[in-house]
Amino acid sequence: MKFMQLLLAEDDLILANGLTAQLSRAGFVVQHAPNGPVAEYLLTNQNYDIAILDLGLPMIDGLSVLKNVRAHRPDLPVLILTALDKLDSRVAGLNAGADDYVTKPFDFPELEARLNAVLRRARSGAGAPELAAGSLRFDRETRRAFINAAPVELSPREAVLLDLLLLNVDRVVTKEQIASAWAGDGNDVGTGNTAEVHIHRLRRKLDGSNLAIRTVRGLGYLLETELLAGPRP
Amino acid sequence: MRAGEQSLHRQLVAWVLLPQLVLWLAGGVATYRLAVRYVNQAADATLSQAARTLARQVKPIGDGLLIDFPRAAQDVLEADPNDRFLYMVSTPPGQFILGNNNIPLPPPTMTPRLGDPYFYDGEIAYAASARQAASGPTKVRIAALYLDYGETDGKRQWMLVQVARSMANREDIWRRILIDTLLPLSILIILMTMIVWIGTGAGLAPLLRLRREVEDRSPADLTPLRMEAAPQELRSLVGALNGLLASVRQSVDAQKRFIADAAHQLRTPLAGLKSQTEVALGVTADPALAARLALVHQGATRSAHLINRLLMLARAEPEAAMIQEKSVLDLEPFVRHLVAEAVPRALRAGVDLGMSEATGTPDGKALPGELRVQANHLLLGEALNNVLDNAIEYAGRGSEITVRVLRDGDDALMVVADNGPGIPAPDRARVFDRFVRLTDKGLGCGLGLAIVKEIVERHGGAVVLEDAVPHGLKVVLRLPALSRRATR
Repeated sequence: MKFMQLLLAEDDLILANGLTAQLSRAGFVVQHAPNGPVAEYLLTNQNYDIAILDLGLPMIDGLSVLKNVRAHRPDLPVLILTALDKLDSRVAGLNAGADDYVTKPFDFPELEARLNAVLRRARSGAGAPELAAGSLRFDRETRRAFINAAPVELSPREAVLLDLLLLNVDRVVTKEQIASAWAGDGNDVGTGNTAEVHIHRLRRKLDGSNLAIRTVRGLGYLLETELLAGPRP
Repeated sequence: MRAGEQSLHRQLVAWVLLPQLVLWLAGGVATYRLAVRYVNQAADATLSQAARTLARQVKPIGDGLLIDFPRAAQDVLEADPNDRFLYMVSTPPGQFILGNNNIPLPPPTMTPRLGDPYFYDGEIAYAASARQAASGPTKVRIAALYLDYGETDGKRQWMLVQVARSMANREDIWRRILIDTLLPLSILIILMTMIVWIGTGAGLAPLLRLRREVEDRSPADLTPLRMEAAPQELRSLVGALNGLLASVRQSVDAQKRFIADAAHQLRTPLAGLKSQTEVALGVTADPALAARLALVHQGATRSAHLINRLLMLARAEPEAAMIQEKSVLDLEPFVRHLVAEAVPRALRAGVDLGMSEATGTPDGKALPGELRVQANHLLLGEALNNVLDNAIEYAGRGSEITVRVLRDGDDALMVVADNGPGIPAPDRARVFDRFVRLTDKGLGCGLGLAIVKEIVERHGGAVVLEDAVPHGLKVVLRLPALSRRATR
């Protein structure tokens, strides 16, 4: 996860300067592109792990850069940084090409979380062999989990459950999602409190890690990392 | 508006009706007078005839007069016992010859002319009918005829024949003519008034429609008035109004666009400011400087928050294109999705956000089928997010927020209840006003609930704040639900 190559395409120099410093401290190796053509050249010719694109870039705007780069690097994770918000119709067509977008101004922890999520999703696509969160590692092939390299025994249902939770770290996983994941895995859809029972067991098995499974009333469950968990009351 | 329109109707009716009324009345008076004149003439002719007949009965012989007044002739004159002829033949000055009553002489203003009857009114005390005793004086019409008959001492001899008849009969006829003229005339006038009133009303109906169209619009609705609703005479007025509306709309649009553009333009420098202060905070070891930088950072965050809210408010305005784009929304999954997205924010703030398991009616019954509303999902989502963010921010760390979707009759309710400190009842109305804040805590700019109210009202709904049990605030967003049939 550390020392990711990141391209920051942003024309506002004050923001670019500050963001570069913050991203570097967060462990990224940052290259700055002040305008569209430079961003496009660097992205097509160098092998970045992730890109942050401002939409309002001079000369070639961010959306065009994105389209052109997508032709060469269809898998490059791209996060759009924009002064437009999600209610703007101009943003509507955006998600097609970008993996996520963040509205300016933003809190850096939020941006960092989104970057990590985009990276995680890029790596945990259909073929990704391994998922990780905090001190937990999960081998999707063998369905074996490790907390700080110590193996954790999982039942097939628990493995599917953990897989689902890890794909949605810090996001709510509904009971419907769990049921359909189990059904897709060839297990019978249980009745009653099955999800609760398995969550309860999984919780105990994750005791040694720095992860927690939260129950979200009326909605489902959420795998919580340290980043999300604020100081407890 | 109302008073002006009514007075126009009245004025029209008055202008059409009053001159007609005067003319009709004048016509009525003229007709009456004409009829009375002919009646008088006919009656006078009868009197004059009677006078001549009577005169023929008195034949001059030498210096004297031979009265040949047979009973038969007397009977003719006195045939009608209720309306007798009164008669008197005399030779001036006042020598009574024959007659059944004393009839006053013609007024001295009349100069006697031979052989021409005079007509005048007088009063005589007599019994109008045979049965009736002589009572007070009765008004009579008198015909007087001067005749001469030979000469004595070189002087011509005069004879005055007077015949009188009671006016009662004649006045009776006058009265009948009056009634026969007035009655149809009054009915005519009443009918005409009604026709004119209705006709003017019908003629003014397009004006009324136009007025209703203007009255029924919301003050913020600046779309043009429909031209076809206006009658020809008002086309130019409607055109002028539409021109005015268009220019107002343009300037409002320009202002809105300016606000939106300005807000967008402010976002990037603010992001830079925030980023730089965060970096500075990370590298400084001086606690005094760090405290100041934290304040700068807080200010920047606040400004960012304010800009977002201003933009949102601009979007919720009725002219905004967004508010017009509505679609049918299944409320329960929609709310579920939004709450799920808000859970990480709540957890970061140490707040337990969840949904009530049972969606249903307020009395706990299960929801029959889907609960659908007609809404713009982005705006409604923003409204609910604002309520959720408010609850997360002000309920405080360790509190619990529960969201519920309910059906209440024809309405769909989204209820966000927390167990925080709540808002005292007297302050609740104020929190919907723009820039009103009840606390100095948090990032708020006092626009959150104003936006919620604006959006919900644009969807035909209402926002209500209630007490939660045992303490805390309950925000109820009420929207009109689509009937199940309408959604199929």
